[in-house]
Amino acid sequence: MDDLELLRDLGRELEHEPPASLTRQRGRLLEASRPRGRGGRVRWRMLGAVAAVTAAAILLPMLAFHDRRTEPAAGTSAPAAAGPLNVLVIGSDARRDGYPTRADTLMLVHVPAGRKNVRVVSIPRDSLVTLADCANPRGKGVPVGPVPIGSAFTQGGAACTLKTVERLTRVRIDQTAVIGFGGFRRMVDALGGVEMTLPAPVADPAAGLRLPAGTQVLDGRQALAYVRARRGLGDGSDLSRIERQQMFMAALARRMRAHQRDNRLLFGRFLAAAAVSVETVPRLDVGGLRALADTFARTGADDVEFRTVPVRPAAADPSRLVWDAEAAERLFAPFRE
Amino acid sequence: MTVPPTAQEHDADLIRSSLADPEAFAALFDRYSAMLFRYVSRRLGPEAAEDIVGETFLAAFSRRHRYDAAQRDARPWLFGIATKLVARHHRTEAARYRALRRSPVDGPVEGPADRVAAGVTAAASRPMLAEALAGLPRRDLDVLLLVAWGDLAYDEVARALGIPVGTVRSRLNRARRKVREALGGTDPTREEA
Repeated sequence: MDDLELLRDLGRELEHEPPASLTRQRGRLLEASRPRGRGGRVRWRMLGAVAAVTAAAILLPMLAFHDRRTEPAAGTSAPAAAGPLNVLVIGSDARRDGYPTRADTLMLVHVPAGRKNVRVVSIPRDSLVTLADCANPRGKGVPVGPVPIGSAFTQGGAACTLKTVERLTRVRIDQTAVIGFGGFRRMVDALGGVEMTLPAPVADPAAGLRLPAGTQVLDGRQALAYVRARRGLGDGSDLSRIERQQMFMAALARRMRAHQRDNRLLFGRFLAAAAVSVETVPRLDVGGLRALADTFARTGADDVEFRTVPVRPAAADPSRLVWDAEAAERLFAPFRE
Repeated sequence: MTVPPTAQEHDADLIRSSLADPEAFAALFDRYSAMLFRYVSRRLGPEAAEDIVGETFLAAFSRRHRYDAAQRDARPWLFGIATKLVARHHRTEAARYRALRRSPVDGPVEGPADRVAAGVTAAASRPMLAEALAGLPRRDLDVLLLVAWGDLAYDEVARALGIPVGTVRSRLNRARRKVREALGGTDPTREEA
């Protein structure tokens, strides 16, 4: 046997037959081939997508709103819900408007009743899990075996992701927030960009990103590329990407707080962008965000702690991750208060 | 939606008719999605393959206006798009091959005796092959696998990747030389002149 024959044999061994779920991809194609306009709302909801970074979308407006030294917003003086709150933030990696793919980013945010010590835990999207028993929008069942948690979003949207995370963590989730790339860019741009200090220059031609080292203001497009890039940065893993996302969120929070004090106009623009860019369930409009934000009177950006679920490479597939169950249990225990 | 049993339309005709009737493009999916899935599943595993097949057809759909109608067979075009999407997962792919160096491949070898014997040979050489694949530069790997796993002819590979046929040959030679070196490390008699 020559080398090509051996290679063909290896290929045959590695091959998988197309699963029934491949018809879903056909559905995507048909969806794309139909005239636009009809059901745009539905598409957006499904696309749902978001960038990890978007914890920003829901968490940061709350933080930014907390400053009571400025005039209190009329009619919202009574905080609606001051109890503990768990928010699941989903960012998607949809590359074109309208096509749902996997959740690119997953974060679980816990806001205790006292609004101090807000915890944000990133869940690596490559974590192998068994999905909750949820049907996808087209009524098909979900795969049985372990799959990357990011695929829960593809299978059954935000609802399936929520059920899966709830079952894994035994944390009850009060609110989900889904944001797409476009929305993320708009929010960053509405803030006039976000100031970051990069320890080293960054070049990821695939993401169209080239940044010098040092302090600079990233616009929406650059910020999105920076938080998504896997190449040319750190060790190229999802975990180093999560670190960058968390650093970026901290920078975003600082920027928001500064604007909230000094530039009400810009800040208002940011809130408007957030309200239309983030799909929340149950639905929160600007008023709802404001009411929720009012419960954060004493929370500062420094009261937010960022963590990541402890993981190790999966034995079966080193490009996937499995949770350290004990450490995860400790990490999520405060979420169940 | 099945393809009519009568004389099948050429891909190029089908793509042309999809300009006026976009939903007709789904017939191309019915023709080639399984083939592409099998190919990508070899390189990246079944989960990523599903996404990539979906994205390949979405990308193809949005570029169908630019399809060269002189090319009746759309496979090289689709393989080319899929290859670009696979490239985004280069790390996953390399990790997959590296993992093969030590873990058994799923599923038993079945079939006629000669296939089983071939399977045994393949199993013995697998760690070296996997090592070689993991170490190949992406451009060479794409050519090698389009030939070995995609069953494309040289001119089709050239079309898929948008490179001259001569470049296909030189990349293929380079890739095969490295694979043979990796295999030859344990069996020098296999060395070719």
